[in-house]
Amino acid sequence: MLGAAVGSIVAGTPTVYLMTSWSWCVAVESEATEAAEIMGRYCRGDAAAFQRLYALLAPRLLAYLFGLLRDKAAAEDILQATFLKVHEARSTYVMGANPIPWMYTIAHRTCLDEIRKRKRNRVQLTKDGTLLAEPAADLTGVPVEAGQDEAARPDPAATAGALAALHQLPENQREALLLTKVHGRTTAEAAMIAGTTQGAIKQRAHRAYLTLRGMLAKPDGATPLARPAGQAGRARKDRS
Amino acid sequence: MTTKDFDDRALPPGRIEAPPPSRDLLNAIQGMKPVRTRTRFGALAAVGLVGLVWPALVLTHHAYRPDLGALPLGWVIAAAALWGAAFVMSLTAALVPRRGEVLPAPGRASRVGGVALGGLFAFALAASVQVPGVSLRPEDAHMTLMRSCVHCASFVLEIAVPFLIVGLYALRRLVPMGRARIGLALGAAGGAMGGLVLHFICPFAGTAHVLFGHVGGTILAAVAGAALLPALLRRRR
Repeated sequence: MLGAAVGSIVAGTPTVYLMTSWSWCVAVESEATEAAEIMGRYCRGDAAAFQRLYALLAPRLLAYLFGLLRDKAAAEDILQATFLKVHEARSTYVMGANPIPWMYTIAHRTCLDEIRKRKRNRVQLTKDGTLLAEPAADLTGVPVEAGQDEAARPDPAATAGALAALHQLPENQREALLLTKVHGRTTAEAAMIAGTTQGAIKQRAHRAYLTLRGMLAKPDGATPLARPAGQAGRARKDRS
Repeated sequence: MTTKDFDDRALPPGRIEAPPPSRDLLNAIQGMKPVRTRTRFGALAAVGLVGLVWPALVLTHHAYRPDLGALPLGWVIAAAALWGAAFVMSLTAALVPRRGEVLPAPGRASRVGGVALGGLFAFALAASVQVPGVSLRPEDAHMTLMRSCVHCASFVLEIAVPFLIVGLYALRRLVPMGRARIGLALGAAGGAMGGLVLHFICPFAGTAHVLFGHVGGTILAAVAGAALLPALLRRRR
């Protein structure tokens, strides 16, 4: 999904990937209907519906949170906190509404709180004073140690490159790109989730395109870490 | 690093394995009871009805403006309709989610609130009407223009307060993001209701007074909503 998005960016045709596919729109619509139906049963006290909702949305919320935090353990903790918040706030759900953007919003908010907390406590130590080991995980969020089909495993070089490129983006550009291109949210939904305007989301995604295009246009083997000239200033401006 | 490296396997959210629900989560789920969910217009009805009690009381206990009978009936109705529309539109935008959505849209709320304030400002600037000899001027009541404006603006804020309080209660778990913009629309709605009440009771009809006292008070109420709602909702968490 990200590959297709980035491919179109680099080819200079970012709109190609945008919601032009009718089948994609239909899939999104049916998914929203299914999620609304499950959420309705969940609010009526059906515990099995919760399991279905969790199975439907937990992977994508985890992927989104991992994309924002780049820390699998923290993303999993926030995922659990998100579902707890959803459970506590289920009386605020409007029957028949699509719960997916709502749950993304709660996850996003919980994640922002976590990021703020991390900024306050930058160093985490164990009881004996040593640094905590970061669990190794690839971009899919699956632990490296977990046994997987070799063919299905992402190419480590691609994974590292994708991560490096994504990490180079300012936080607000990264979240705009993740929401609209990777998680398939509409601009309006992404704006609601990120707590900003549709124009800002479009602008941030566009700037993210430009930055990524600059990074990925570099020849093979080059580390895509240097931000193209002019982008740094723009990114700072965007962050403000 | 080429674009080929970003193939479809790079970040497929559907393939991420989420951990099973935690014990805390499962404990919360076990034994859960059905809940009564919200309706789209429930918050609007609650805030509208509770908030309207205070303006209704004010209207019944205050004397109407002395020039009300002398003013053109069409203008009186048009101005009242504009203030009322600003109230209804702003309150609806602040509290009612779009069809198929759970949360009110902050972007729409701020846009509608801004348009309502702009419309009121333009109307006050271009279409204020007074009847010479009947409509009062601040000097007739031994007041300066500034003092009369401050008096009316504070009255508008008083009328807006119940809307902000009840709106805050209705929104307490509904606006994880975009609180300032929702607060702006809520404040604009309360301010517009204050302006509507003043339209019937304020004896001063001069353009400057209506612009700075009535519309200015509405703008102040919107700014107060935008500043207070995020702070108060953050404090509640």
